Amino acid sequence: MSSEPIERRVSYLGDRLKASRCKICGKEYFEVRDYCGNCGRKSFGKMASIDLFYEKGKLELCTLVKEPTNKFMKLGSYVYGIVSFHNGKIRVSGRLTDRIVNNGDAVDFSSLEGREVVPRFRRRYSVGRSDVVPTISLAFTLADEYYPHQEYTVVKPSKEYDVPGIVGYGVYTSRFRIKEGSLERSVPFIDEDAVTAAVEAGKIALIHSGVDSSLVGKIYVGSESNPYAVKPIASKVAQVLKLGEEDGDVQGVDAVDTEFACKAASSMFKDAASLVNYPQSGVQYAMVIGADNSQAAPRGCPGGELDVFVGYGGSAFIFGKYDVIAEIEGWYSCTSDTPDFWRRDGELFPMHGGRFTGDPAYFKHVRKATTKLMERLNLQAGDVDYFVTHQPNPQFPVKVAKQLGFKDEQYAVSLQVNKFGNTYSGCSPVGLAAVLDVAKPEERILITSYGSGAGSDAYLLRTTSQLVDKRQRQKLNVKFQAENPFLEYVDYTTYRRLKLGM
Amino acid sequence: MKKLGERKDLEACYLSDCFLPITNKLGLEEGFLSELTELHVPMEVTRSVSAALLTACHAIQAGVCNTVLVGGIEKMTDRWDKIRDDLMLLEDPWSYYAGGTPETNHELMLRAYIKKYGITGENLDKLNVALAQVSVKNHANATKNKYAQFQRTITVDQVLSARKAAQKPLGLYDFAPVSDGASALILTSEAVAKKLTAKPVYVMGYSSATDYLNFPARDDLTHFAATKIAMKNALKMTGKTPWDLQVVELYDQSTVMELVSLEDLGFCEPGTAWKSINESCSDYKGYYEINGNQLFVNMNGGLKADGNPLGATGGAQIFEVFRQLRGEAGDRQVKSDQKPPQFGCALEFEGFGTKAYVSILGREKDE
Repeated sequence: MSSEPIERRVSYLGDRLKASRCKICGKEYFEVRDYCGNCGRKSFGKMASIDLFYEKGKLELCTLVKEPTNKFMKLGSYVYGIVSFHNGKIRVSGRLTDRIVNNGDAVDFSSLEGREVVPRFRRRYSVGRSDVVPTISLAFTLADEYYPHQEYTVVKPSKEYDVPGIVGYGVYTSRFRIKEGSLERSVPFIDEDAVTAAVEAGKIALIHSGVDSSLVGKIYVGSESNPYAVKPIASKVAQVLKLGEEDGDVQGVDAVDTEFACKAASSMFKDAASLVNYPQSGVQYAMVIGADNSQAAPRGCPGGELDVFVGYGGSAFIFGKYDVIAEIEGWYSCTSDTPDFWRRDGELFPMHGGRFTGDPAYFKHVRKATTKLMERLNLQAGDVDYFVTHQPNPQFPVKVAKQLGFKDEQYAVSLQVNKFGNTYSGCSPVGLAAVLDVAKPEERILITSYGSGAGSDAYLLRTTSQLVDKRQRQKLNVKFQAENPFLEYVDYTTYRRLKLGM
Repeated sequence: MKKLGERKDLEACYLSDCFLPITNKLGLEEGFLSELTELHVPMEVTRSVSAALLTACHAIQAGVCNTVLVGGIEKMTDRWDKIRDDLMLLEDPWSYYAGGTPETNHELMLRAYIKKYGITGENLDKLNVALAQVSVKNHANATKNKYAQFQRTITVDQVLSARKAAQKPLGLYDFAPVSDGASALILTSEAVAKKLTAKPVYVMGYSSATDYLNFPARDDLTHFAATKIAMKNALKMTGKTPWDLQVVELYDQSTVMELVSLEDLGFCEPGTAWKSINESCSDYKGYYEINGNQLFVNMNGGLKADGNPLGATGGAQIFEVFRQLRGEAGDRQVKSDQKPPQFGCALEFEGFGTKAYVSILGREKDE
């Protein structure tokens, strides 16, 4: 029965950590207040709404929870305490997330108390399979570990471009990894899922772009691991990230989920770009997110072959015509009804067509879209600086790149499957982000996504000088997450447990 | 021979339960009580016996009635599997949503206390032992109380090793249990009381105060502001000082609460109660010795050992003070100058110090 109003209220206040400040005396309150307790009647209409979503706090006090209440049972043991913001003006309860506390692990509270923490948007606790998934940002991680605190500063645009393109992007993968052979794959913490990855990626993209979130008029979220069969991820992202003009508790944004296996997000790049380019749309920026807790049956079960490659993560790209970092020069899409990978409604894990996922599916569509686009734009393989494609495993992208005549130095940068696994809807976009992290101005990037079912979208991008200008705003780039000293490696059993979630 | 009161003399009933509607799906408890007592008088439900008592005092002092029933019931074990979720959600919802348990606020208060008063090294060890001694003392007291939930003594080592096993600041023996229980008392006007008994015990002062639901948002994380206010107002009503009271039943939902409450009630200076406890209990004579004064605390075993059936707990506390003042406490009777004490008080909480009730009881001076 979690459709109760209290669930909505707690999410509304807790997802974004909404707070209030009295403009008269300066007292601050967690939650939204119409008046100040100190100032009474005269403070009506003088309460400023503030939020702590992009702030960092301080872990004041902590203790260990080893016997959680029922709904937190799946978290196991965790550190729980009191977090203060604004020099103690606001104090809230919180738990430290992204930490596995094993039975017998001693926790030195004084080594944690006093350290800076960042609020993280996570699942709140476990509920039944038919219930609304409750979320909250009263989960924190230490700012000096995997996820540093980043300020969100809105930057006034300086230049309007003739063609639309990418104005900012963000990639989010979790702190946890499973390593088998040379392949590392990101593993969600137990309170993470496709929704939390989508919000994280969107948040990081906003920080990188400096775009005012209220000017984002459209949000697409592509995923194949939405915890809901019916209920968009995009609406959660829009509400938490305050996309579009805020009016009461409604955001003036068009939010929609898309699904096309691993190209659910990349397919929408052209739609987003077209939308911001249409004069009457009134949409200045459009955000496209691809996020997945990539699903796979356990090894040994039908479909379990996928378990070797699946990852977790999300990517977000913001499209617009102002302060573009990469212009879109053209695209080509192709589709055929090829059932190489599918998941029937109500099934937990996808199935795939074995060897038919290669030549008649992946290779055919990636080659088709790429060559058609190159023909259309009169390009040779040597004319592009970077080639990015979908990475369902380490072999396929290399093989198709070679077939298309690309050289190692053109595609090597984009190969991230060895670090994060196949992040499904986030997969080729993560490759694109890795390229954007290092590319120079005036370089050409060709990205071809692939989605089972099946189809490909090829895009040609040309970077601008602003790419380099904005780079410094992003601490959490792809390399930072791939080579982070705070990565925690887990064994197969833990990986399955974390992936299954709360 | 005095005339005995009868059920039909009751003019009102104040019944307390904290969350019977949740644990036992029992709404409108007043109707239930009406059926049991065959009474159709005004009845109201509160969340604690102290709240019921306070309301009853108001009614009698207003002259609305002369004889009322004050009682409390709680049946927590019927919802054993969900009780900790319920307790925490009702006590501090935001902390519950963040992953807090019924124990965490106590542990965080202790961490805050240690930090605020800069207690380190040997002193910190003493503080930890003092908290264990609180539990040991309360268990020992309970063995002399046939109504107590636990009838066995424990040792300081047991308390400490339970903490060590849990790797937490507080362990199993630092917390009051989940309990079932019921309590009741009859409150009358002074005139009626004198007709019914030769040894009436008077409610001389009572007060309550309220604090934020959300513990982390409170100004002071090391004390219960509500206790301080309630005690101050209750004392003002009686014209007494803390040291006029010899017996105190305080709300030791955890050992930390007993320590902090000794300070909040004004018996110890802030930051010093652990010293007094530690010194008193190293050679325990049955009372805390604070600045040369004797203070008898939680003689019935406290919440730790007598049990803590929330809505009924306050009744057990009042009952203990009542018996001590009347000299009817048997093996655990305390004496002050060879006589039963004249004044005592009970401190009861609702939630984690969200509400504090102080009731000061007294009897007439020995002739």
